[in-house]
Amino acid sequence: MKRVLCLLLALLPMVGLADEAGLADLLVRIRQSGFAEFRYEETRKLELASSPWQAQGYMLSGADGRLIKLQLQPKRIIMAIAGDRMYYWDPEQKQRHAAPLGQAGQATGQITVFRSILQGHAEELQPTYDFAPEKHGKRWVLRMTPKRQSDEYAPSIEISGDEDERKRQVLIRQTDGESTEYRLIKTSEGPELEYSIQRLLLEATGD
Amino acid sequence: MSFVWRKRWFLLLFPLLLAATTWQIRVETDLNAFFTATDSEDAKLLSGLLQSGELSRRYLLVVEKKEGLRSGGEAGRSPNVVDTAGHSGMDRRNDGQKPVSTAVPGGEGPALSPTPPQRTISIDEFSAKLVRQLAGLAGVERVWPANEPPREWIEAIRSYAPYHARLFSLNPQQDGFRLFDPAGLDSRADSLKQAMLSPQGGFVKAIAKQDPLLLSLNGFKDLQGQFERQAKLNVGGGALILQSHPAALDSDAHSRLQAAIRENFDTLNRDARGAFRLSMAGVPVFSVAAHAEIGRDVTLVSVVSSVAVALVFLLLFHSFSALHWVMMVQAASFVVGTLATALAFGHVHNLTLALGASLIGICTDYPIHVMVHCAKHRHSPLDAARLLWPSLATGGLTTVIGYAALGMTGFPGFEQIAVFALASIAASLGLTRWVLPALLAHASLHTAHLPGIAAWVDFCGRHRKGLLGLFAVSVILAGLSLPQLRWMDDMQKLAVDMDLLKRQDEAVRAHFSSIEPGRFVLVQAADLQTALRRSEAAERRLKSLQQAGVLSEYHGLFPWLASQDLQAENARIYAQALTPQFQEAWRVALTKAGLSVDKLGLLLAPAPEPLDPKSVLATPVRHILSGQMMDGQNGVALSLWLGEHNPDKLIEGLTGLEGTRYFSQKDQLDHLAGQYRDRSLVMLAIGIAVMGLFIWLQQRDIRKVLLTLLPSVASVLFIFATWALMGEEVSFLHVIGLLLSVSLCVDYGIFFMNNRGQDSDITYHAIAASTLTTLASFGALGLGKTPTLPILAVSVSLGVTLGFLLCPLLIQSGRNKGTNG
Repeated sequence: MKRVLCLLLALLPMVGLADEAGLADLLVRIRQSGFAEFRYEETRKLELASSPWQAQGYMLSGADGRLIKLQLQPKRIIMAIAGDRMYYWDPEQKQRHAAPLGQAGQATGQITVFRSILQGHAEELQPTYDFAPEKHGKRWVLRMTPKRQSDEYAPSIEISGDEDERKRQVLIRQTDGESTEYRLIKTSEGPELEYSIQRLLLEATGD
Repeated sequence: MSFVWRKRWFLLLFPLLLAATTWQIRVETDLNAFFTATDSEDAKLLSGLLQSGELSRRYLLVVEKKEGLRSGGEAGRSPNVVDTAGHSGMDRRNDGQKPVSTAVPGGEGPALSPTPPQRTISIDEFSAKLVRQLAGLAGVERVWPANEPPREWIEAIRSYAPYHARLFSLNPQQDGFRLFDPAGLDSRADSLKQAMLSPQGGFVKAIAKQDPLLLSLNGFKDLQGQFERQAKLNVGGGALILQSHPAALDSDAHSRLQAAIRENFDTLNRDARGAFRLSMAGVPVFSVAAHAEIGRDVTLVSVVSSVAVALVFLLLFHSFSALHWVMMVQAASFVVGTLATALAFGHVHNLTLALGASLIGICTDYPIHVMVHCAKHRHSPLDAARLLWPSLATGGLTTVIGYAALGMTGFPGFEQIAVFALASIAASLGLTRWVLPALLAHASLHTAHLPGIAAWVDFCGRHRKGLLGLFAVSVILAGLSLPQLRWMDDMQKLAVDMDLLKRQDEAVRAHFSSIEPGRFVLVQAADLQTALRRSEAAERRLKSLQQAGVLSEYHGLFPWLASQDLQAENARIYAQALTPQFQEAWRVALTKAGLSVDKLGLLLAPAPEPLDPKSVLATPVRHILSGQMMDGQNGVALSLWLGEHNPDKLIEGLTGLEGTRYFSQKDQLDHLAGQYRDRSLVMLAIGIAVMGLFIWLQQRDIRKVLLTLLPSVASVLFIFATWALMGEEVSFLHVIGLLLSVSLCVDYGIFFMNNRGQDSDITYHAIAASTLTTLASFGALGLGKTPTLPILAVSVSLGVTLGFLLCPLLIQSGRNKGTNG
C-alpha cells in the first residue's frame, strides 16, 4: 500500500504535465489565426425571458483581431469588435452604438471573451480564468472559470468539440444565471474575407 | 538733507522697492476680471459664467481624416462586394443557402488586389484612443465622444429606477394616456425584449427588474434624443467633448492644457501615419488666443512707449546722463504704482501694467517741465523745481482727478489704473521736487529749440481776434454736429479681432448639436423647490416652442431633478392607471413577448417618499448639473440651456412665467457697455467740474478757471464733432480716452496760465516737450491689436494735440518777460 502511494506521488507531476500538454493541444486546436468565416446558431437563456431566444448568422474573424458577428435571423444586426472598440448596428431600428471594450458592460464583456476564444488568444484570458481541459474519447471540453468571483462581468466558459475541427460549441454562463450557447461551423477561410469584414465594419461604424 | 544723501537714499531705496514689488506682485491675466463689473446680480452672474461656467470650460474637439488620404478600408472598397441595398455580399446569403463569395473574381468589375489592403485605423478607433489619452491629462475633468453619454451619466440614470412612478413625465396628465394605454403594451413588451438583447441589455435588465415598464427611461428620452441628434452630426465618430477644470479665462492653465492636447494628438497621429487632423473650439481657445495677443500688445506698447519717450527726451535735451536719471525717476514711479496697486487689490492686471506704461509719458512731464525751465533760464534744477512746484502740484492733482474719475466709471480694471496713477503720479511729483535736483546737480542741460513753437504763439497773438471768431464758429458747428454722434452698441467690437479663429470655431461647431454657451433661460427663486417648479413650467413652454420650431433643442433639469409637486402628480396618475385590468394586460403582453411574468409582471406602487433633490445632488449627478445650478445673491438660480433659437419668439413664449427670463451674455455685455458709456460721460463732466474747483482754489478767479479749462473742453467738443461727422461709433472707451486727455490738457492750461517763468515761449516749449512725450507714450498704444488700446491712443493723442494748439489762442498770458516781453 505504501509502495502504491509512493508511486502515485511520484507520478503526480506527470499528471500535471499531461494536463499542460492537453491544454496546449486544445489551445492549438481551437486557435484561429487567419481569416475565417463561421456559420453560427445562438441560443440565449435570459433571466427575464420565459423561453430561450434563438438567432443565427455568420461570424467573421480577421487576422488582426477584428471580429464581426452578422446576425441574419430573426433580424439583421451587426456587432463588431475592431481595435478596442465595440460597434452595434441595428438597421431596422436604426440604432447604432459604439463603446470602448472595457466600458460597455455584460454584452461587450461576452463578445470580447468570445473573440479571445475564437481567435485562440488564451493569453488574454489567462489572467482572469483557470483552464481545465478534459477529453472523453473523441470529444474534448475546455472549461474556463473566472479566478475572481467578484468580477461582475466575467462569465464561465465551456468550449467543446470532437474530431471534426470545423465544428465547435461554446457555452457562456453569466454570473447572473443567463447563458448563451453558440454552435459554430467553419464555412470558409482565406484573405478574400477581408473585403466582407471591412464592408461590414464600415457599415457598423457608420464611417 | 544734502544732495549727496538724497541721491544715496534714492539709489539705496529704489532696488529695495523693486525687490519688495517683485516679491509682492501677482500678475492677473484674466480679462474678465479687468472688464466685467460685479456691482449687480446680473453682472455677477455674467462674470461667474465667463469665468467658470460649465460651458465656458468646455472644449469641442473634432478629429477628421486629412483630405486626400483614404483609409485602408476605403481603399479596399469595391462595387463588387456591395449590393444595391448597400449590403455586403455576405447579406445575400440566407437561411441554408450556400454563401456567395464575398470577393467577386475579376470580370464583373475592377480587378482586385490579390493581397488585402493594409488596414488603417478608423476615426472612431483613433478618437477612442485619444479620449483615453486625454482623460489622464492634468486639468481635464472628463472627456467623452459627443454622441455617447459619459459613463457616469448612464450609471446615474440607473439609480432613478426605484422612482419611476414619480418621474416618468414632465406632463404626467398628458403622457399618462399614451404610457398607460393597454393597447400599446404588446409593443412595449417587445421593445423591452429587444432592449435586453442589445448591447445595453445589462443596463436595461437592471432597470426592468425595478421598473418593468421602463417608465424612468421615459423621462430621459430627451437626453437620448440629444445624443441621437449628435450621432447624426457625428457619423464618423470624431467629435469629442472635453470638460476642463480651470476657469475659462485662466489662460496660463488652458495654454498648458491645449499644448498637452495637441502633443497627445500628434503622438497618436504619428502612429497613424499622420492620417488625421485635430480642430479645437470653445471659450478657452479664444481666451488663450486673446491672452497671447494682449501679451504681445503689452510687450510692444511697453517697449515702443519707453523707447519713444527716451528718444524724444534725447532730442530735447541731448543728455544721456539726464535721460538716465529721469528714467530712473520714472522707473521708481512705475514701481511705486505697481506696488500700491498690488497692495490695494492683491494682484495687478497685465492691462494695468500696459496702460500704466503709458503713464510714464505723463509722469515725465514734471521733470521735463523743470528741465526746460532750468536749461532756458539757466536756473539750477532746485530753483526751477521750487519755482514750478505750485503749477506742477496743481497739474498733478488734476491728472489724478481725471484718473480717479476713470476709476469710478464702473470698470473694475480702471479702479486699478486709478490707484496705479495716483501712486505713480504722487511718486513722480515728489521725486521731481525733492530728488531730481540732487540727481541732476552735475548734469549739463541744453534744450533744443522746437521749430514753429514761437511762431504759433506769435501767430495766435497777432491774429487773435480772427482766430477767436473762427473758433467760435467752429464751436457752434461742432455743437450742431453732435446729434449725429453714433454710440457703439455691440461690445464685441471692442474684443480682439479673431476672424480666423471664429471661422475655425464655426467649422468645429458644425459637428456638434448646437447648445449655445452664451444664451439660456434663467430661472430664479428664493428656494430650490420653487425654482424647480418654475423650471418645470419653463421646460413645458420650451417643449411647445421646440415643437413650434422656435427652438432646435434645450437642456433642462428634469428628470435629474424634479419638484415634489411634479413627483406627487406623477405618482397620482401612475396609481390611477395601475388597475387590475392594466396589470393583467401587461402580464399577457409579457407572455406574448416570451418574457418572464414572474419577474416582470408585478407593477409596484410608487415609492413612498419622493426623490429628494438634496440627496440627488450628493451623488455624481451634481457634476452633470453643475453648469445649470448657480449661486444667486437672493436664493437659487437655474439655467436651461438652449440650442439654436429665435430670441424674440422665445422671449414672447416665456411671457408670464414668474421668476423666469431669457438671459443673453452678449445682450448683458452690451447693456453693461451702455452703462459704462453713461457713467463715463457723467464722470467726464464731474472730472472737469472737480478740476475746475481745484484750479479755483488755487487761482480764486472764475475767469482764469474757465480759461484754463477751455482748451481741454474745446478739444473734447471738436473730437466728438469729428467722430460724429466721420460716423465713428463711439464707445465708453472713447469717452474715457477723452477724460484722460482732459486731465492732461488741464495741466497745460495751468502751466500756461501760471506762466511761472514769466516767459510764455519757454512755458510753451515746456508744454510742447510734455505733449511730445505724451504723444510718444500714448501713441505707442496705437500699435496694439486689442481695440481698446488704439481707441485710447487716438482719443488721448487727439485731445492733447488739440489742447496744446488751443492754449496760446485761448489763454492770454499776462506776464511775459521773454519773446512777448
